[in-house]
Amino acid sequence: MVEEKPRILLVDDEVAITSNLGPFLERAGFAVQVAGDGEAALDRLESFDPHLIVLDVLMPKLDGREVCRRLRAAGNWTPILMLTQVGEATERAMTLEEGADDYLNKPFDPHELVARIRAVLRRARPGAPRLAGAERLACGPFVLDRTARRVLLAGHELPLTPKAVALLDYLMTHPHELLSRERLLDAVWGYDYPVGTRAVDMRIAELRKHLQDDPDEPEYIETVLGQGYIFVGQLEVMP
Amino acid sequence: MRRWWSWLAALVPFVLGLGLALLLQSGSLPNPVLYLEADLGTILLLVGLLLSGGVVGLVATRSRARRRLRQAVTEEQEESAEAHRRFVRRLDHELKNPLTAMRIGLANLADTPPASEQREVLESLETQAERLGRLVADLRKLIEVEARPMERVPVDVGELLEEAVELARQQSAAADRHLLLNVPRAPWPLPPVSGDRDLLFLAIYNLLDNALKFTRDEDRLEIRAFEDGTTIVVEVADTGPGVPDEELPHIFEELYRGQGARGIEGSGLGLALVKAVVEQHGGRAGVRSRSGQGTVFTLRLPTSS
Repeated sequence: MVEEKPRILLVDDEVAITSNLGPFLERAGFAVQVAGDGEAALDRLESFDPHLIVLDVLMPKLDGREVCRRLRAAGNWTPILMLTQVGEATERAMTLEEGADDYLNKPFDPHELVARIRAVLRRARPGAPRLAGAERLACGPFVLDRTARRVLLAGHELPLTPKAVALLDYLMTHPHELLSRERLLDAVWGYDYPVGTRAVDMRIAELRKHLQDDPDEPEYIETVLGQGYIFVGQLEVMP
Repeated sequence: MRRWWSWLAALVPFVLGLGLALLLQSGSLPNPVLYLEADLGTILLLVGLLLSGGVVGLVATRSRARRRLRQAVTEEQEESAEAHRRFVRRLDHELKNPLTAMRIGLANLADTPPASEQREVLESLETQAERLGRLVADLRKLIEVEARPMERVPVDVGELLEEAVELARQQSAAADRHLLLNVPRAPWPLPPVSGDRDLLFLAIYNLLDNALKFTRDEDRLEIRAFEDGTTIVVEVADTGPGVPDEELPHIFEELYRGQGARGIEGSGLGLALVKAVVEQHGGRAGVRSRSGQGTVFTLRLPTSS
């Protein structure tokens, strides 16, 4: 039996982007349909039934964030990869809270987009916990409260810096995925600069210290030498 | 508008007095003659009080006027800074979509193996698109620093300088220059600065990186920090070629590149970022230079105590 190609709904009002990105994604092995704005995207959903939506944030009529909000409110959990524009860290945090599964900043490398799409699709296997939009995530003895932005270990709040909490949030919502320091910087710090990789290592050390995670035999955060970090803990979505 | 009201209010007691006097004079009210008696001391006391009251009123009005003027000036400055930030944000925004489309288009072309003579053109286009991409990323960094709320933790600037210098020494250019770091430990170490450690590190490292780029072999680089009242002063001084006087006032502007910077790689946003970071910490960035002798960059950061 021939395996079905994953269906991607590409939503962006920039024709220059969709006309180039459509064929690129098709060559990468996806079945692609294009919608030019948020309303068109919602109309297309039922007939196309995509496995994943690539959604631009800034669009006329209905913007990407509103599309995401409406889908989630209606109980539709089709994975969403948001293409953010303004690029402010606060905006990205909001994007994740509103139930997008991942985001990518424009301008992006199209190969990176394909890698992200594959990662989100892998994460969205049936039966896997729905991490995007979850309010609290548990892993062994500790709980990440994503709304209050704090971490509890055996009921006690850990004295973590806001950035360490944001870093843990990104790690836990992208489990079993190799996350490079550059990507973590871009996601959590909002900027990627040549000397910043050191900053990531420092916050990882902070997290390990407070979570009592031994880097040599990690239960939660594993180091991949020269490449980055992987969150390896068993996750549970709490009500 | 408010001014008219206060003048009117000042007239009220006079108008009231005048009305009553007219009524008394016309005979509609009994108008007895009053004899007042007071010693010189009491009279002098009352006159003194009246005069003081007048002077206090005058001083208050003047200082209020001055305050208002100062406020108008800061408001105007803030407004122009905000307009400038809006412009940079829009620029960043408008560059993103065309650049994204270009990169995907180029990736599409690269997927269909081109003829050899086209390959060179394609590679050059890719390099330029990447360069533009870096520019957009740097603009975003700048916007982030100016727009987002900052983390505030006590930061040891001395330790930060040591780490930054250590990292700068790993650059190949550092081997041919004399790097000197001087952080006071006696009689007491530098007090902490309240702020974002990563951003402060970025600012200091940018200055070091800059100094390495714009100096020649055998030049001296001195990095020092000291306490000055309630601020910590960080200086990065070099014996490089210096900056011409006419370029100095523009050196912290976005995308400004002086004569000496031609041919040296960089986004033109490094110093703008340094300034943004320092100002977010309530501090100031400055520069002094003598052509042919050298340059010193100064960061003044308020301490947290």
